[in-house]
Amino acid sequence: MPKHYRPPGKKKEGNAAKYMTRSQAVKHLQVSLPLFRRLCILKGVFPRDPKKKLKGTHQTYYHTKDILFLKHEPLVEKFREIRAYDKKVKKAISKKNKERAERLLAHKPNYKLDRLIRERYPRFVDALGDLDDCLSMVHLFAALPAVEREKIRVKHIHNCRRLSHEWQAYISRTHKLRKTFISVKGIYYQAEVEGQKITWITPHVLQQVLTDDIDFGVMLTYLEFYETLLAFVNFRLYHSINMKYPPILDPFLEALAADLYALSRWFATKSGAALLGSQAVSSSGSEQHDSETLDGQPDESEIRLAQLQHQLPSSEPGALMHLVEDAEGLDDDDEETKECKSLFKNMKFFLSREVGRESLLFVISAFGGTVSWDGDGAPFKETDQSITHQIVDRPTQVHKFLSREYVQPQWVYDCVNARIILPIDDYLVGRIPPPHLSPFVNNEEEGYIPDYAEKIKQLQAAARKHILPMPGVANDYRDDPQNLLVEGIISRTEASEAADRKQKMLNLEKQYHEELKMELQGVQYTPSTTAIRQSSIEDTEARVGSPSELDQTAEDTGNMAKLVMSRRERGLYEAMQISKKRKQAGVSLLKSRKRRLEEIWPSKLPRCREANLSTSTVIFVI
Amino acid sequence: MAKVAVRPESQVKKEKKGRRSENSTRDDKSQVKEVSSGRNATLRKSKVNGQEFPEDEVHDDPVLDNVDPGLADVDGSASDDIHEVVEESDSSEDEVTPRNTIGDVPLEWYKDEEHIGYDITGKKIKKKEKQDKLSKFLDSTDYSKSWRKIYDEYNDEEVELTKQEAKLIRRLLKGKTPHAELDPYSTYVDWFEWKDAKHPLSNAPEPKRRFIPSKWESKKVVQYVRAIREGRIKFDKPKEEPRFYLLWGDDSSLSEKTRGLSYIPPPKPKLPGHDESYNPSLEYIPTQEEINSYQLMFEEDRPKFIPKRYSSLRSVPSYENAVKESFERCLDLYLCPRARKKRINIDPESLKPKLPSRKDLKPYPITCYIEYKGHKGAVVSISTEATGQWVASGSADGTVRIWEVATGRCIRMWEFGEAVKHVAWNPLLQIPILAVSVGHDVFILDTGLGGEDEKKKVKELLHIEAPTAGEDFANTTSPVSWLLDDSLGGLRLKHPKIVSSVEWHRKGDYFSTVMPADILEIFPPLYIALLFSVGSKQAILIHQLSKKQTQRVPFKLHGLPVSSAFHPSRSIFFISTKKNVRVYDLLKQKLIKKLETGLREVSSISIHPGGDNVIVGGREGKLCWFDMDLSSQPYRVLKCHPKDITNVAFHPSYPLFASCSEDCTAYVFHGMVYSDLNQNPLIVPLEILRGHSSSNGRGVLDCKFHPRQPWLFTAGADSLIKLYCH
Repeated sequence: MPKHYRPPGKKKEGNAAKYMTRSQAVKHLQVSLPLFRRLCILKGVFPRDPKKKLKGTHQTYYHTKDILFLKHEPLVEKFREIRAYDKKVKKAISKKNKERAERLLAHKPNYKLDRLIRERYPRFVDALGDLDDCLSMVHLFAALPAVEREKIRVKHIHNCRRLSHEWQAYISRTHKLRKTFISVKGIYYQAEVEGQKITWITPHVLQQVLTDDIDFGVMLTYLEFYETLLAFVNFRLYHSINMKYPPILDPFLEALAADLYALSRWFATKSGAALLGSQAVSSSGSEQHDSETLDGQPDESEIRLAQLQHQLPSSEPGALMHLVEDAEGLDDDDEETKECKSLFKNMKFFLSREVGRESLLFVISAFGGTVSWDGDGAPFKETDQSITHQIVDRPTQVHKFLSREYVQPQWVYDCVNARIILPIDDYLVGRIPPPHLSPFVNNEEEGYIPDYAEKIKQLQAAARKHILPMPGVANDYRDDPQNLLVEGIISRTEASEAADRKQKMLNLEKQYHEELKMELQGVQYTPSTTAIRQSSIEDTEARVGSPSELDQTAEDTGNMAKLVMSRRERGLYEAMQISKKRKQAGVSLLKSRKRRLEEIWPSKLPRCREANLSTSTVIFVI
Repeated sequence: MAKVAVRPESQVKKEKKGRRSENSTRDDKSQVKEVSSGRNATLRKSKVNGQEFPEDEVHDDPVLDNVDPGLADVDGSASDDIHEVVEESDSSEDEVTPRNTIGDVPLEWYKDEEHIGYDITGKKIKKKEKQDKLSKFLDSTDYSKSWRKIYDEYNDEEVELTKQEAKLIRRLLKGKTPHAELDPYSTYVDWFEWKDAKHPLSNAPEPKRRFIPSKWESKKVVQYVRAIREGRIKFDKPKEEPRFYLLWGDDSSLSEKTRGLSYIPPPKPKLPGHDESYNPSLEYIPTQEEINSYQLMFEEDRPKFIPKRYSSLRSVPSYENAVKESFERCLDLYLCPRARKKRINIDPESLKPKLPSRKDLKPYPITCYIEYKGHKGAVVSISTEATGQWVASGSADGTVRIWEVATGRCIRMWEFGEAVKHVAWNPLLQIPILAVSVGHDVFILDTGLGGEDEKKKVKELLHIEAPTAGEDFANTTSPVSWLLDDSLGGLRLKHPKIVSSVEWHRKGDYFSTVMPADILEIFPPLYIALLFSVGSKQAILIHQLSKKQTQRVPFKLHGLPVSSAFHPSRSIFFISTKKNVRVYDLLKQKLIKKLETGLREVSSISIHPGGDNVIVGGREGKLCWFDMDLSSQPYRVLKCHPKDITNVAFHPSYPLFASCSEDCTAYVFHGMVYSDLNQNPLIVPLEILRGHSSSNGRGVLDCKFHPRQPWLFTAGADSLIKLYCH
């Protein structure tokens, strides 16, 4: 008799009834495995982890209800229909009935995913919470080449590009970007939309590597769903800021692959017409508009835009509404958004040719800056005198305008993460910039704080102090925090020295006391020397005196408590200790590496300290 | 009809003119008068340099001549041209008539002859005188156009080609048409005009089928009509609906849960740390040695990402695994089972139970106070006397010593010559005797301590009338023989097997001995058979000292016995086998309880003085506390020692117990048993006693509490006995 024998006529119970393996599910649904996979991806059905794996541990188990959920999906029927239809087309083609084939192809049954999206994400917040993978995938495909062999169509790529730009335009328009990080894998962004932290990665703008061991079928199924999801999400987001979706873009700018800028222009013209000067971007846009019209060379794109505006009837009557709502929106902004909005306020950036344009356009405008670039369709030229910062990524800059700063792109990202304008000294052209740190790491929790993180922290503290004081007394205060800071730094070093000294003193004292005690005991006990007593004294002394013994006792007390724990708790405790130890090992490795580096270049790190001081003064003076 | 391609007239004209000029040059050179050879000379081969090429231009003339005059008349200019051609047809014969008339025969026939052939009149044509090579060479050098000269073997003469001819040949050699003007792929022009033609070319009547509507077509039409009517065929393009709309309206009213099954959102991908930066701090970058050392690691442990540093953003290459990682994420999303897992985010120290302060639980042994030195081998067993004045110890060097506790003086020593297994003091104060198990024997020794009365009593007790004993031994089936041992001054009980331990009853009259049937011992095979036939019933014996009697335990044992113990107040007997402990009532002679230890191998057992709690030490370093009232499962298992527990002990009066182990440590615990049945015993570990050193892989072999004080004696394999005091 098998282990799990069920007498005939008796229903399955428990795990046997609740879960079925994948092959059972496929059989039950009467679909092929690829179709099953597709359904699972689209419906968001995933395997579960039953407690009792009745068919063995090597199987994947689906919940029976999930499978029934799939079974009642109209999409299954639709897929069958499509399959039958495809057969018809194939037959027509093979019978050389071209006309019929064409007619059939024109009326190919189609399916929509909107219902699925609504079903999977009943609330908008749910969709936003699950958007990370979606965004990363769409951004990745926006950077991929179209490969016909893998069925990556140009259509997909263009759609992905458009969607990603729409998303970025929304984020930068509403200043929802919070963190950025340039990693080796790409550029990470984190935005906060409706309280949901959404993180995505965009690959570096370069030719992507396609390897053979990738099944693009799976990825494309995901992409299909993600494209739809992101489009609906964008629709909703655009709707929330009273914008029409899909946006109609300036074809001239689009042709120049400046979609993002085109989108921001679109935004600006749509709402900025009513709200002049409320947005840095929009104001610059309108200024540009003015100057161009004055020049007497009406830009093609402008004309096109004007035409489009006429075509769209929704823009005129809603103008006042926009104004009101935008004003409300401004009030609604939380503290962080305001902070983000004003980070690069009154700063004008110019991107050199070699700088990755898309990312910086996105980031700078998301933090309230005005950007232009080297190329056609740019809002202002390099020669513009009002440019405050030029972002350059080349070893040397030959021609320099005195009115502006030349910085490396990393400066922008670091500023964004620190939420303050960092001193540009370290980021000048030709220098190796200071380390770029991840904003996603909690340094305190990690147990290791890189030098540069500490420096940024000081600068942040300094900036905050600088802002707080009243303008009248600012002069007095100006010196004070500086002194304080300097004192702080000095005192920190002093404190550590003092601590060392104190430790030494304590040790000496202890030693002295011990000696005294020993002497006393010795005087007391030497006359009546019994070997046993002596040995016992020695023993006690050894116990108290040597640090290893002390450690031993400490460890013993730790172990004692462990003895009484239940087995489960002990296991948990030990697992925690292991993870803690691993973490500590990582930190100690970093520390040892740093020590070694300090030994190799002893001059390098102190210089960093000095720079630290000087930069902090710079911040205060400005 | 002519099957020759007809060219436009202009082209033809051009050709003719070209040829005319060609011919004129030829005429000059050849002395032979050109003879019109008539129209029939359609094809002629000129043999130049051994190559043949047809002269097909010549064909034009007859074709044009044969043209229907009516058709030709259509174009007046064309007819003019034709006339011209006709006039000049004589000159179209551009070949010199061969002087030689031999025909197309192999020329080697005339190789050895004087002549080369015959002229038209039938006369022999003599071969010309051959020029020698030198003169030939000189000629060629003198005459610049000598490269154009060709020797005509047939007519035995030298012919000089014209420039045009040379060109022609060059073109032919290249595989082109001989005349550059000629377009071989010109568009076809019909040779007659269809315009205004009255009669068809074919005079056949129209077939009937041309006038009848097709049956099959009508059927097809019917099919189509039906299909269109039924809507199977649609012509208009499907209407484009707006693809995107406001999917989520006001959804604030929706509750959190809408699906029946709990949806588990996928875990978010890990956020990048400092090390993934394109420009991380220098300390995040591993050295080359470290990177090399990754190769030695297991595949799973190897770090997947090695930090790298780029000096500027422009030098960052594209990440080669970008697509692959995205793909793997996709796979994870739909292939990996998802489960909710509770992750406790607490300080691990908070997991540790709050123990009562150790200060409150004093006194307990803390420090080593006295060491008793003297044994040469590992001290296997110790026992304290009831007053707590003396300690007896048995060692592997075959001696038993008695020490004074306070001073550490050895006052008495016996030598057995064989390793001592166990020593045990009689628990009665009045009878200071010592039971020692050595090999197969158990000795009851008179220690000679105490006053006169006691000595007398002991003497009486240890007296056996020799003859009767012999009779007894002969008559009874007792497995043990009681003998008097004069040399040591006590009794000797000879056992059939090696005795591992001796335990006294609380009243001091009875004692039990355990003989674990150790197969490793070398017995004669017959004996082993007997042993097994007898079973393990014989493994434990109970002796009565006053009557010098021995009896077997009347219970069947399951498994090998390890040790035994008497209940401290009632007539209950504990026998521990390797797996579990059996509790027997000696009066009723039946099993009361079976304590399941769950240990791999039990090594020792100790009974709480209250009698309701038992501690059992195991070989895997675990100590089990049994509350007999509670259950047969251990109330608490303490995993304290990394190595075997050799012995456990309760303190007779203080709430203390201890365990000692091969890892050279002894643990002291506070074990409070409350009289209130509802309150569970309180167990608090108090102290780890170190001090013994390991020898031969063995550590502390025995521990015993002082009967009055909270002191602990430990016996180590390093031949020391230590006393730990509070």
